[in-house]
Amino acid sequence: MTPRLSVDRLHKRFGEIDALRAATFRVEPGEVLGLLGPNGAGKSTLLACLAGLLLADGGQVLGDGRAIEPDERREMLMYLPDGIAPWPDQTANWILAFWRVMTGAHADGWDVMSDVLGLDELRGRRLGTLSKGERKRVLLGLALSSPQSIVLMDEPFDGLDLRQTRATIAMFRQLARDGRSLVLSIHSMPDAARVCDRLVLLNDGSTIAEGTLPELRERAGLAESADLEDVFLAIA
Amino acid sequence: MASRAMLVFALCLGPLVGHAFATAVDVYGEASGAGGGPAALAQGLSPLDGIVVPTFGAYAIAAMLLFPFVAIRAVSGEKESGALSLLVQSRARLGTMIVVKFVVLMVAWIVAWVPGAAALAMWRASGGHLYGPEVATVFAGHVMRGALVIALGLAAAAVTDGAASAAVLTLAITLGTWALDFIGQVRGGTAMSLARFTPDSAIRVFEHGELRLDLLLVTAALIAALLAFAVAWLRPARRPRARVGSTIGVVAAAAIACVGAARVNTSWDASEDRRSSFAAADETLLRTIRAPLSVTAHLAPEDPRLADLESGVLRKLRRTLPSVRVEYAARGATGLFEGSAAHYGEVWYRLNGREAMTRSTTVPIVLETIYGLAGLAPPTAAPADAYPGYPHVARIRLIAPIFYVLWPLAVVVFWWTSRHRRRA
Repeated sequence: MTPRLSVDRLHKRFGEIDALRAATFRVEPGEVLGLLGPNGAGKSTLLACLAGLLLADGGQVLGDGRAIEPDERREMLMYLPDGIAPWPDQTANWILAFWRVMTGAHADGWDVMSDVLGLDELRGRRLGTLSKGERKRVLLGLALSSPQSIVLMDEPFDGLDLRQTRATIAMFRQLARDGRSLVLSIHSMPDAARVCDRLVLLNDGSTIAEGTLPELRERAGLAESADLEDVFLAIA
Repeated sequence: MASRAMLVFALCLGPLVGHAFATAVDVYGEASGAGGGPAALAQGLSPLDGIVVPTFGAYAIAAMLLFPFVAIRAVSGEKESGALSLLVQSRARLGTMIVVKFVVLMVAWIVAWVPGAAALAMWRASGGHLYGPEVATVFAGHVMRGALVIALGLAAAAVTDGAASAAVLTLAITLGTWALDFIGQVRGGTAMSLARFTPDSAIRVFEHGELRLDLLLVTAALIAALLAFAVAWLRPARRPRARVGSTIGVVAAAAIACVGAARVNTSWDASEDRRSSFAAADETLLRTIRAPLSVTAHLAPEDPRLADLESGVLRKLRRTLPSVRVEYAARGATGLFEGSAAHYGEVWYRLNGREAMTRSTTVPIVLETIYGLAGLAPPTAAPADAYPGYPHVARIRLIAPIFYVLWPLAVVVFWWTSRHRRRA
């Protein structure tokens, strides 16, 4: 089966620093792919390059087997950066309605998503007055309501409490079963292990491993009881 | 439109306009003989110069120092908050988004003219005279200036990292146009030709009640170029070479458009006193001259006689004759050391292979000279509809309550209501 998205030796340099060196992996239809790595590994740079917000210095991005230029990627990719607070003077309701108009988003599944993310209680409040976790919930609703088949999210659980994180994980799993592909850059190894079908380990701008957790354990030569943290430390 | 930048702009506008209007009414009243003092000649009292231009002058200050920040925030705010990184992933084209921002900001600029309109309404209600076409012409000039400020603000915000840098860049460009104005007045030549199209120079033309097509076209070309520049620099994931290439393309296209537009010689004199036109009979006769007229003025740029010649004669000749070429032959800037030079003070006119000289800068003498070169008999002096002038002493008591209290209150209420309504 042709991967929905293939990343082939993506390279990005900022001055003297190689933020990405030959990052290579694939995204399959209907899977949740985790992007893991320490600070400075290049995860956010990789997602921004994939989404076409940053111009990569080398490499290719293929969608359904065909090379896609940066300004074409918005047809199939939606990227939610971390740490943004768009339109802080507007209410959550306005932002979500505006976004649906701007992207032609469909309303299918919106009620369920809204319920899981607890958006009803946030609708009338301005984004700039929300807490970090509340803002994250609104932005998750924004990203997931977009029609693109692949959604890239940077730290999607940052600011969410335990109950919200678990509910969001369950929602991600359902979206994957429905056919969407999610690529998540996650710091928390336990959350990554719980939500991701496959994992891409990044270190120093390079892909050092890719596969399911059992595959990575086998590669690291670790027992079945080893958790993702042990696997990452062994491989990196 | 309910941003804090817009709030500050709108709050400041009422008192600015109110103060300008109140001062204009007082000065006009004194010139009209208020308080028993001597009145100026009635023909010299024009509401265009005495009321409309000073009142609308508040908008010149607003356009220069306040409104750019509203435009800058429209883009910088989205860059800084991360909204732009989402918007470029939507199905809307970046060019469309920039044009929509431009249109919305134009609506905001026009809504901001409510205090100005209120001032003129109060003047009319007090019995003062207004001539619609000349008021509309001054308004058009300020609308055009506002549009240019918006485009400049959007472009500055697109190319810089933050709102503060964009503000500095915008202010630097504004100061640059003032410098060009000054250099043009002092040095003449190419600088003066370029300075004709700076915002301040352009506004002065409109404030004379003259609607010039070349100014409108050049401004439209600059606005289009600035918006295209904004799109080129906001577009993500572009190589620096591609951005520079786009910029060069935009500048080249704008330069070509501006050079072409500057050659358009169509204008309309909307002033009630026809201050940009010769007498009707003279205009009719002059329009029969098809040959190009060449004028060589041996007057320094800072010589007041040159200013008289420009405003009283040359400006009108350019509007009337198909081709007028003017050469400024003085070498110095002030004429201080040229006063004794052989031809200093002479103005030579060449037409149909003949030439004549006069030192006069007054309309009757110059026209007589030109008619002589063209072999035309001067028209019979028809009884002219002399501009009567409109002296008027107005006692308008509501200026302070309306502009210093009611307008700021209305702005705050509207702003608060719009934010509160969004929350509901």
